[in-house]
Parts: sequence; structure tokens; C-alpha cells
Amino acid sequence: MSRHIKSLQFRLIIELAALFLVASCLAIGGLIYSASLTTRSLADRELGLRAEDLARHVSLDEAGKPRLELPSDLRDAYNAAAQQSVFAIRDKEGRLLEASTPELGATVARWPTADTEPSYFQLSRFGPSGRDYSGISVQLDSAAGSLSVLVAQVSGGNQLVHSILREFVFDVAWYVPPFVAVALLLAAYSVRRSLRPLRKASARASAIGPGSISIRLPEADVPTEALPLVVAVNHALDRLEQGFAIQRRFTANAAHELRTPLTIITARLDCLEGNGQLSALREEVARMNRLVEQLLCVARLDSVALDVSSRVDLREIAEEVIGSMAHLALATGRTIALVGADKPVVITGNAAAIGDALRNLVENALTHTAPGSEVIVEVGPDWALSVLDSGPGIPVEDQPRIFDRFWRGRGVRSEGAGLGLAIVMEIVRAHGASIAVSDRVPRGARFELRFRPA
Amino acid sequence: MRLLIIEDEDRLSGILRSKLGDAGFAVDIAGSAADAEAALELINYDCAVLDLGLPDGDGLTVLAAVRRLGKTLPILILTARDAVEDRVGGLNAGADDYLTKPFAMTELIARIKALLRRPGGALGITLDAGNVSLDTVGRELAIAGTAVRLSRRELAILEQMMRRFGRIVPKAVLEEKLYGMDEEPDSNTIPVHVHHLRRQLQTAKASLAIHTIRGVGYILTENKE
Repeated sequence: MSRHIKSLQFRLIIELAALFLVASCLAIGGLIYSASLTTRSLADRELGLRAEDLARHVSLDEAGKPRLELPSDLRDAYNAAAQQSVFAIRDKEGRLLEASTPELGATVARWPTADTEPSYFQLSRFGPSGRDYSGISVQLDSAAGSLSVLVAQVSGGNQLVHSILREFVFDVAWYVPPFVAVALLLAAYSVRRSLRPLRKASARASAIGPGSISIRLPEADVPTEALPLVVAVNHALDRLEQGFAIQRRFTANAAHELRTPLTIITARLDCLEGNGQLSALREEVARMNRLVEQLLCVARLDSVALDVSSRVDLREIAEEVIGSMAHLALATGRTIALVGADKPVVITGNAAAIGDALRNLVENALTHTAPGSEVIVEVGPDWALSVLDSGPGIPVEDQPRIFDRFWRGRGVRSEGAGLGLAIVMEIVRAHGASIAVSDRVPRGARFELRFRPA
Repeated sequence: MRLLIIEDEDRLSGILRSKLGDAGFAVDIAGSAADAEAALELINYDCAVLDLGLPDGDGLTVLAAVRRLGKTLPILILTARDAVEDRVGGLNAGADDYLTKPFAMTELIARIKALLRRPGGALGITLDAGNVSLDTVGRELAIAGTAVRLSRRELAILEQMMRRFGRIVPKAVLEEKLYGMDEEPDSNTIPVHVHHLRRQLQTAKASLAIHTIRGVGYILTENKE
């Protein structure tokens, strides 16, 4: 849930939903309010029309006095016992000409005469049944000159208008919730759509690793608000890549600086005519070469992230390593063999690093195997690469420590620096692979690297 | 036989010059990429040894420049072992072989000779290893000075091994070479021929031995006394 609350998309949609809810409440309220206004203005118009109607029926008699002569149906309507509608007509001096009931006549006699602008009034608990009336009073011209006409009707008397309006309001109001729902769905969709470049950028970002540091986040289509973040991340990646490049250069330079004098020493020794002392010296230099090589390998693995994203064939690597080490094995009276899969075994990794690991394992195995015996490299179809020797094997109590740097087995001739297996371990780790050590029957050790399939 | 060594380290190039001189090569030294390009343009060398780390540029640019000039001389690259990208890049850019530093002088000389022996290479038509000498055109084999007769297939196998003396010859390469000679090559053909060849070399007291690298191929080395 807390993840949801942090989601921009979730928050935008929730806020939009709230906004839509408030807006639709306002819309419905406004509709109802304006409908009630319409009802009232309709009633007012009707009263105005009636007042004009009454004024039209006022004329002067022979004596020159104004007189109301209503048609019979109108007269009946006003005289009905229920007294739904009442009226009173006065001349411009305020003298009462005619009223539908004497009670009304008496009431209005006290009021000022009407203006040309209609004015509204209420009569509370009026008439025989004591009901509320609302009406208008307006000054109108007639055949008998200007008159002040009052017309009132029982409040809420116009049921038809009310019911039509109410129906209309509710009909329209029903459309609002589905409309809001659809609008919200569209909003959610458009929010998702607008956030898509950000999702793309984060998918790209998750692919960035030490081995793929040249990847940059796409800046096109990213919303302006998020662009500074994306640009800043890209700049940070630029600086990181520079740092990596500097490290890489330093390692390469160090390697070159160390190797050149060693190469020269080796070459000079080759030039000398030798006795026993000289060949001992040569062996020592060869050992030093190897040590420098391994130290540089460790430094490189520490400083530069291994790119393990290529498709590599374990069998091809094994063939190459055996090819480069066969003469070394033969020179010391041992042999190497490649067994297992005769088809490519493809994994995702770094061929040079796996080759280094295998080289170290084979070197180890050659050191621990008696002359005349064979070191076996096995490529398993289950993405395993094993090195088998027929040496003394590895005591169980030593097994957890053999991959530590500078660790050396007891009673082993002081050949190496104890870096070989540490290098193997680093490379295995960088590949997310596993390494297992076991004993062979009747004697010997087996190192098995198991990789993940491509 | 004229060689160009492209190497900025004076001490190393000095040793190379004297050692390769002893091996019968005429050696010139270029200490920078510019010198190297100028020398290669002027003189038709038989082979060049190129160190990738040069003061005024990458050795690979020299390589590319030489190949652009249309020179086909074999070029051997010297490189640090961990610079794998360099290695692959070098071979792709037109190098013929590489050797990682530090190297044994004997190995360098053997590699240069192997390059010169390639078809079209400057070194004659005769392959020599130990007391064995093989004329690749006349198909004549001499062991310890005595002519020895071998079958065509055995000669072809021996030639491949002598061309890659001291290095593995994958079984697949031999199968490819023999394909067309044997009407129906099967997986047993090669081991049988190698077995015969081994026996013949032994009988003729050759100072060479063929070792089997199980699962990969064969390697021809000189017997230790």
C-alpha cells in the first residue's frame, strides 16, 4: 500500500478522482439551483401574463369610470371557492376598482400603488383556508389609463411546472456519475500514457551495470518536469564512466610498466650461455612473471568490472586454454585431455576471464599431479567446466580456505603465491556461477565451475 | 630475410636485434609509429614484429596503415596477456599472430619462422624441426639425413604438424586437410594415420615426438635427450 501512495500515477489518479467528485457535486447542485430559479421565474411570468390579461379587460364605461369586464371562464376561475388565484386592481391614485375578494381589497388598500417594474409579495395564511400566497404587483396601461394590478396565487400551486422541472433535473443528474467515471478512466489512461517515457527510462536504468556503463537514459519524450532528473542521472553516469576509464588506464599502465623490465630480464637471460645456476635463475624469473601476471589479474578484477554479457562457448575456451598450456604440460612430463561435450556449450560471460580461471585451475592441477599422469578438463552439457587431477586431493578442513588470497596448501612446494584460486573465485563470482570442490576416487581433486545457461 | 621490429623500449629492441641477428635475420628497429610507417612504406620487409604500446600512437593504427598500403607481409603482435581486446582487435585488424609478454626468445623465433613458412611466405619450401626436414613442394622427407618414404596422407599430417611445431594441431584441421584424399573420412581415420606416422618416425630415429592431446588434437615436439 505504501508503495501505492508513493506512486505518482496512483496519486494523480486519486487526486483527479477527488477533483471530479467535487466538480460533479457542484454541477448537480448548480443544476438543481438553476432549476429552482427557472421554476420561480416561470411562476413569475405566468403571474405577469395574468396581470396583463386582467388589465386588458378593464375599460371605461359610459360615465367614464374604469370597469372590469371579465369573460365568464376567467371570472369563474377567480371566483372559485378554493381561491387558488386572487387579484386586485386599483387606479393610479390607489382607489380600489375591483378585487376577487373583499378581504384582498381591504389588505391591498393600505399598500402603495405599483411601479412599472413588477414587485413581488407574499401573503401568509390568507383567505378562507389560511394558505400562503405569492404574487406580483405591477403598473400596467389599459383602456382606462394606468392601473395598478395585483395577482397572487397559492404558493406551490403550479404543480405541473414543478414536476416537469424535477424530472428534468433528476434525468440530467443521473448522467453525471457515469460521465465522471468515463472521464476518470480517460484521465487514468492519459496519466499512464504520459508516464510511459519515465517507465521506459527506468527499464533502461535497470539494465545499467558495471559491465554496461555506457548505457544512457533516453531523454527524448521525457516530461519536462522529470527531464532535469534524467539529465542529472546521465551526467552522473558520464562521470562514473570516466572514473572507470581512469582505473582501467592505470591498471593497463601498471601492467605495461611491470612487464617491460620482466620481458627484458627474460630476454637477457635467454641470451646467456647457461649452467645450472642460470637455469635456476630462469625458473625464478618465470615464477616472478607468473606472480606479476596474477597480481595484475587480481588488481584488474578488483578495479574494473568484468563485462559478462557476451555469448561464449565453454568448449571453445577449454580448447584454447589447453592449446596454450599443452606444451607446458608436456615439458614437465604431464598431459592434458579434453573430455565431455563435443558440441558447443554456450553461456553468457566473459571468455577471457573464464579462460583465465581455467588456466589457473589447470596450472594448479599440473602442479599437484605426478609426472606421467593426466589432467582432465571436462565440459559438461549442463554448463559445467571441470578440472580433474590425480594429486593428493584437498583435505576437508582446508576446503573453505583454499579460495582465500595468498593461501597455500601445507606441504606443497612453494611454487605459486596462492593467488590462483582467489582469481578463480573472483571470476566465478562475477559470473554468478558456482564452484564446487570434491575428491576423486581413488585419488585426486575435482574443481567444478557451474555457469548459468545463456 | 629482413625483419622490422617496432618497439619503443630500447633495451628490449637491442636484445631482439642481437638474438634475431644470431638466428640469421637482418633486423631494423623502429621506435615509434611514425618511423615504422615510413620504414614499411620504403622497404619490403619479409616480416614485422609490432609492439602495441608505442609512444606516438597505438600499434593497431600502424597495422591498419600498413594494410591500407596493400602490404601483405606477415605481422606478429607483441601484447600484454590481459589485453584481450587488443589481441582480438589486432587479429581482426590484419595481424597474423600474437605473442604475449613476457615471452621466451626461442618462442618468438619459432613463431616468426612459422609465419615465413606460410604459403606465400618468404621462407623457402623446406620445413625443419629437429633432425627432420620436409620439402613441401617436392614432397620429400629426410630424417637424420636419410630419405624416408611416407604415404601421401601421413606426409600431409606431418606437414601440418611441422607448420605448427610446438603448438596444438586440432583434429578438425587435420580432418579438413585429409578430406578429399580419403573417399570416406570417418572419425577413426586420423588416429590410425597418426599411429602409423608415429611408428615411422620412431623407426627412422627422428628426434620428434607426436603427443596426443585427448579431445583436442596433436602436438609435435622435439624429444628431450
